[in-house]
Amino acid sequence: MPDQPTPVSPPLAIHVDAVSKRYGRTLALDEVSFAVREKELFALLGPNGAGKTTLLHILSTILRPDSGVALIGGVDVARQPLAARERLGIVFQEPSLDDRLSVRENLELHGLVFGVPRRLRRQRIEEMLALVELTDWAAKPVKTLSSGMKRRLEIARALIHDSEILLLDEPTVGLDAQTRERIWAYVRRLRAEREITVLVTTHYIEEVEGCDRVCIIDGGKVLALDTPDALKQAHGQVLLRIMPTTEPDREAIATRFADRLTGKQGAELTFVSDEAFVAALLAEFGTRITALNVEAPSLETVFLSLTGRELRDRAAGAREQTHAFGRRGGEHTR
Amino acid sequence: MSGVRKRQRRSPLMVQLGGLYGLWLREVKRAFRDRGQLVGGVSRPILWVLILGIGLNPYFRGEVYGEVTFVVPFTYLQFIFPAVIALNIMFTSVQSAVSVIWDREFGFLREVLVSPLSRATVLLGKILGGTTVAVLHGSLVLVLARFADVSLTFTDVLKALGLMTLLAFALTSLGVVIANRIRSFEGFGIFSNAVILPLYFTSSSIFPLDPALSRAQTRIVYPDWLVTIVEYNPLTYAVDSLRGVLINYNQFAPWTGIAVMVVACVVLFSIALYDFRRA
Repeated sequence: MPDQPTPVSPPLAIHVDAVSKRYGRTLALDEVSFAVREKELFALLGPNGAGKTTLLHILSTILRPDSGVALIGGVDVARQPLAARERLGIVFQEPSLDDRLSVRENLELHGLVFGVPRRLRRQRIEEMLALVELTDWAAKPVKTLSSGMKRRLEIARALIHDSEILLLDEPTVGLDAQTRERIWAYVRRLRAEREITVLVTTHYIEEVEGCDRVCIIDGGKVLALDTPDALKQAHGQVLLRIMPTTEPDREAIATRFADRLTGKQGAELTFVSDEAFVAALLAEFGTRITALNVEAPSLETVFLSLTGRELRDRAAGAREQTHAFGRRGGEHTR
Repeated sequence: MSGVRKRQRRSPLMVQLGGLYGLWLREVKRAFRDRGQLVGGVSRPILWVLILGIGLNPYFRGEVYGEVTFVVPFTYLQFIFPAVIALNIMFTSVQSAVSVIWDREFGFLREVLVSPLSRATVLLGKILGGTTVAVLHGSLVLVLARFADVSLTFTDVLKALGLMTLLAFALTSLGVVIANRIRSFEGFGIFSNAVILPLYFTSSSIFPLDPALSRAQTRIVYPDWLVTIVEYNPLTYAVDSLRGVLINYNQFAPWTGIAVMVVACVVLFSIALYDFRRA
């Protein structure tokens, strides 16, 4: 198979160049370009419907891009899908395990399907079961597992073959906080034990803090790409959250500083802030505020300043849209 | 952990064969864990052979006031025995194709689609798995041979298994073709019943077209439309070839059944593969 990777320097695990994808009238991806270096923990951050899953499906060779090129370890996913798949370990958003088979049988099957020789297969299965702490569950049917355990099993499965690049599509969605933290702990341990590149999509901002680099994507476009710290410095804003004493006060403050107002949630007002602004606000309305909170730049504010929206607000709405899209027979829930 | 960087290469053919084995094994394991399917596989032949077969046995010779009108030299039980094998294979084959819908609905399909296996391998693994289970269910009927007064030699059984495999492969492919066109489990149930039973009843499985009559006479004794349907039904020839092997009774030339089944296997598998590649 002519899959000798073309020499690129510095070594790139994933290279996406001007990739576009259209579903009917919606432009899901609009000339998206970015590169992931080898052994990097790279996050794609964006609300649901931003195009993250579409991009992942293109990388995993399920979808073909309308235009542009995507390379996995130097292999074009559209031209040599089989060679690209050998290098990829994929965990999809929806589980893709066989419920009726046991944990070990699912891993066996994956090893067979990916052509892992028997001895190596046995060895990897035990290693991966130990890593995700499912050894005691190896003989249990998958349908008896909790959703967190299923997710762990899928991560283990993606690494049974010689995968160099792990693609995780929203690995923590729908899990409770404790389980989410555990999933991330496994990802960190994996990176320590095996030399792999990890590309993860998420819409939980707090999760990307620990990543090497973050690519913020919305409406099918890359808005920013850098380390979390650099993003905060470049785009972060100080936010001021205040709780006015009464409803009329709230209205008065909101009208007075309308140009800096970014959010109204319940009785709370949020402003883009700096020192002068805090001084001005306190001088004028200091007695009509019950609580005041200054927030240092966070990725939350980075997202806000890049898109003009809070990620959280949008998440619910777009989630509904995605589901509605799926019910109509949409591409990525098929 | 072994920091394995060296890509362990297996020849592409070995990868496909290994994957084929894995997918086949999965189908077989799943089938054996499904109690409902097993119960159906056992109870169906018992019902047909023991109740319908024994119950209708006395009426088969068609003696009306001592005058024999039919000359099929077999008891009804013997006559229906090969057809019950076909029936059991039919139900199991078409049912196992339902897992195509299952896989699509519950995401497993995606795991296979991002593997290095070709679509043909994936489909073949699934159909061979369904075929195996169906042949096993068909063999359950063979166990009842002595109740039906059918005596079998070892070679008879081998020949029968060969024919049953061809039949099961064709019918599983048919099931997959149906499943690819139906999106829900309920729809599949209705549709498969609407295909299975009419196909079975018009395959001269449960009644013979009297072989003593000429073609013209047949069309006088039986309604014209029925004879036409029976003659156009491919299953007629499959059941006929099974009868030839098991009770040594053929209504058509013995090779027609094999020819019809081979053609059906090739055509139905090709359609299923075409659908699968496009999906």
